[in-house]
Parts: sequence; structure tokens; C-alpha cells
Amino acid sequence: MGYLELTLAILKPNVAVNPVAIKFVKNLIITSNFKIVRSKRQKCKIKELQLFYEEHKDKFFYNRLITFMSSGPSELFILAKENAIQDWRKLLGPTKVYRTQFEEPNSLRGLFGQSDTRNAFHGSDSKESAEREMSIFFPEFNISDWFVSEEQFFVNGEIKFQEDKFIHVIQHT
Amino acid sequence: MCIRKQFFNQIRGYAVKRKYPVNPEDAKKLPVFGYGISKASYNRIFVWGCRETGALAVPQKKEEEKFHKISPIKYPKRLFFAENHEVTNVACGFGFSIFSVNPNNDNSRLYGTGINSDSQIGYHAIRENKPLEIIFSPVAIHLPLKEKKTRINKIAAGRAHTLVLTSEGLFTFGNNAYGQCGRMIITDEDYSNSHYVHKISNVDDTIKDVECGQDHSLILTESGQVYSCGWGADGQTGLGHFNSESRFTRVLGDIANENIVKVSGRSDFVLAINDKGEVFGWGNTEYAQLDTPNDLQQVCNATFIEKCKGLGKIVDIAAGGSFCLILNEDGQVFSWGYGLLGAGPKVQYSKKPVLLPEILFGKNEFQTDSKVIKIKAGIGHAAAISNYGNLYMWGRNRSGCLGMGHDKDQPFPFRVSVSGLVKDVSCGFDHSIALCKPFI
Repeated sequence: MGYLELTLAILKPNVAVNPVAIKFVKNLIITSNFKIVRSKRQKCKIKELQLFYEEHKDKFFYNRLITFMSSGPSELFILAKENAIQDWRKLLGPTKVYRTQFEEPNSLRGLFGQSDTRNAFHGSDSKESAEREMSIFFPEFNISDWFVSEEQFFVNGEIKFQEDKFIHVIQHT
Repeated sequence: MCIRKQFFNQIRGYAVKRKYPVNPEDAKKLPVFGYGISKASYNRIFVWGCRETGALAVPQKKEEEKFHKISPIKYPKRLFFAENHEVTNVACGFGFSIFSVNPNNDNSRLYGTGINSDSQIGYHAIRENKPLEIIFSPVAIHLPLKEKKTRINKIAAGRAHTLVLTSEGLFTFGNNAYGQCGRMIITDEDYSNSHYVHKISNVDDTIKDVECGQDHSLILTESGQVYSCGWGADGQTGLGHFNSESRFTRVLGDIANENIVKVSGRSDFVLAINDKGEVFGWGNTEYAQLDTPNDLQQVCNATFIEKCKGLGKIVDIAAGGSFCLILNEDGQVFSWGYGLLGAGPKVQYSKKPVLLPEILFGKNEFQTDSKVIKIKAGIGHAAAISNYGNLYMWGRNRSGCLGMGHDKDQPFPFRVSVSGLVKDVSCGFDHSIALCKPFI
């Protein structure tokens, strides 16, 4: 039985270029007790995004979502925590930024979202979709292997934080 | 007692009567002292809002840097840079500001400060290949100008790109991921390390005005034509398609035969007015900016806005993120869309234009001739300037960008205390800059 939950967090291109926002969010991730399992900065490819947003294929905003996400580099993290999926989405706030900025002004989207499309962050909504999304952007990352061999170190706190790479690594004693 | 006596004696020493009165003919030659009247070209600049991005050009103390406590400026603060340079125009982008100045001592005409992640304020590096991400004080932006006499007429700043209209032509720089700089999109271009300033050459008409949305650009020509380029996924380019456009192309649709005098679009919706005072719009209409059949949420053709009929001759417009503002000849301001529209205490959603009470803009028994002459919009907040030089703001108070002294949202227009006659204001994402004339 696993204690931790994994979720995929994305800083979308409009905040990934804002050094003030990045600093704020990274700080918040650490202070909210998330553990960073994997982290990278890359420009998402259109093929990856088409897989990623498969469920929105017929919606009117599909085209703008894809063109926006492929417009610049994004920051992608795999976060681990008990109840990570819910907690990360709670930090983000609702999707529609123009509403969120009045309803939950202190959520991350209320602070840094610039429009309904440029809503600044992504968080997986369930365990299944988290697994699917992680396999798209981190194909080399094997989820079941991680739970078998690495999770215990994260649970026991035998990990070290590397600030320059923004990642937690296992501390072998 | 003794000290007091001495003190009065000293004063008396200055206030003695002249023993020999001045010859009246000599008196005429003496210089007359008066209050210094400021130069006509002098503008006073006030800044307020988020300081962390460096867009306010307010220097920070060392201890603030150390403890990550760079607090926002919630009151208008006079910008010292504008005392050394004659600032003529200001433009707020998203986390950065652009100033154009009269070239007096040096040759630079353009300065910028704030976030520079996409070279939106030019290329600045401490050494080769180490570009600066944030700049905290205004730095000169190099433009490839041919002549020394060239003047900067208009500037506009978007999310991460800048448009500069000079008497030589239009220059663009910054992010070009959607073609918003009017040049070819290069995949995987490194914008942070870019020296490139592009000159627009494919528009034949003389350009009168420039305007930046978040990721698209609009230009207005002398003959009343509108050209656009950039991101079109919401139809905000108005070119009849939803793709990105990398060349300035003329907007047709309902405005094809109209003489457009102004365009405005801070986010993904664009408003335009013609010389008769009719309003047109295109782009994202998720919050009922336009009335569309079947609740269509993206309009890619310029459309006549029926609901602005009968509100008088419209003279100014402002399109924010989820709301629109219009101003008619009599100085009445109407707003519609979603957000703090300015008419009530709550967040509103209105499809029809709502009249904002004129009394909120200073029209009362003592100032019966006070009226609004200019309106501006940010993403979630708006501003109006009256003919008395007063500035009124309302909406979402992100990082204190309304200048009220607190960070609560402001549901109705409220006067901002600026010590100057406000002539122009520019609303960014989380900061604002006002350009004022001194009182005397």
C-alpha cells in the first residue's frame, strides 16, 4: 500500500517566463511540504500536447490551448505528497481566471493567471489522469518502479533537497 | 527670556524699514520674483503597484532583497527618472514599463524597466550570453534609427512585446511566438538573448496609432484602416481565421468601409470606433462582449455592436479582460461584461451596457461641468480621467495597482490622489503609471 500520491504540475508558458512568479511558486511548493520527484524545463511539443489534451478535442478552445502551450518553455514537476492531487489543485484555485480573480483572489491562478486560457498552471484531476499525463511528459519515469523502490525513502524523509536543480534526491547512508 | 529677546531682535533685523526708499525708476528694473512655472514639455510621472518585477523603477533597499519582502507601492509615487528626463509617453506591459523621452543630453529616446525575459525592453546583458531577466531601473533601449531628429510618437506594450511608432516607421521587438512582432515565426527562437529590432515595412499607409493586446498587435492608419497580427486563436486579430498571423494584415469585415479613429484591446477582445461614433468589436466574447447567435464564443470578423446604439456618439473605448467600457460625448461611461463593472457593490455579469453614475466621476453641485474625457482598461481594473485632471479607478486591486492605499478590490470608481493634473494613464497587469502635468 502506498502512502504517497503523485501528481503532475505544469507552470504554463506565461508564468514560466516570469522570474518573480517562478520564485513565488517554488517557494510555495516547498513550504506546502510537496516533494519534487522529477523536474524539468522544456518547450512542449505539439504531438505531446495533442495526447495530453485529448479529452478537450471537440471543445472550441482546443486550438488556442495547443497553440498557447506550445508558444514557449514550460516548467514541469512531478510532486509527491499524501493527497497530492487534491492539495495541489486546492492551491491552484478554479480554472476560469476571470472568475477566480474575484472568487479566490489568493489562489495561484488568482494571483498569476492572465486570462482564461493563460491560467498559468496545470494540475492532474485524478489518479488515472495523473499517471497518463506523467507518462506523456516523463516517458522515462516508471511509476510502479518508483513506488516499489523509492517511495519508502520519501516517506521516511531520507531525502536531500537540491536547490539548483529544484529536486529531492534520495540520500544514501 | 534673554534668548527670546535675542531671537526677536534677529527677526527685527531683517524687517527694518528702508532708510532710503528705492528710486521708483530703479524699482522697475529690478527682477520680479514669482513662482517658477514649469516647462510646457515637462511631465510628472507617478507609479504604483507591484514592485517585485522592477516595472516601477523604484529602487529597493538591501534588507528587502535579503528577506524577500519587496512590498508593493499602494499609493502613487513620483518617479525620480522623470525629473531627469522629459518623459513624453508611457506604456505598461505585463511586468514591465516603457518610457519615451525627449532626447536632450544623450541620444536615447526610449527607456525600459522590469521583466526582460523576452527582450521586450531590449538586449541587456552583464556579459555575453548572460542576459538580465529583471531590470530595476530604466535602461536605454537601442533603436536602429537613421536620423538624429527622429521623434517617438506612440508606444505600446503587450504581454511580452513592444511596439514603438517613430517618425521613421514602426519598430517591434520582444516575444514573437505568435507573430505579434509582425515578422516570420521562427520555431525554438531564443527570445531572451535576442538583439533583433524589427521594422515594419509592409504597411503603405501612414501609421497613426498602435495598440497591443496580450499576444497580438493592432495598428491604425491615417485613413482609418486597421491592421493586425499575432495570436488569432480567439479571433482577436479579426482576420477571418483562427490562426496566428505573422504579417500585419488589414482587418476587413464590418469595418472595411469605415473610417476608424480608435482601437483598444488589452486582452483578447478588441473594440474599435469610427468617426460617426459607432462601435465595432471582435475576438473572445465568452463574457458577452458581443451578442452572438448560438452563444458563439469566438468571433474572428469585425462586427458592428448593436447594443451600443442609442447611447450617444461614442468618443472613447476601452476593452479589458472580461469587460468593455465606452464613453460618449456627454462624458457618460457605460460598461458591460463580467467583473467589477463599477456600478455596484458586487461582481456583476451584464450583457447590456450599464451607465456608471456620473456623480462618481466628480460631477456634483460644485463641479457641474466635470466630465470624463478618457477611459482605459487593464485586465481586471479600469481607469477614467476627467477634464479637471482627476483620475478615477475601480476593479481588481492586484498588488495595489489601483493606488487606493490598500489592497482590497474597489467596486465603484474612486478618485486616486495623484498630485498633478492627470493627462494619461497606462494600466498593466499589476501596476499602473500616470502621466501628469504639474499644477503650475
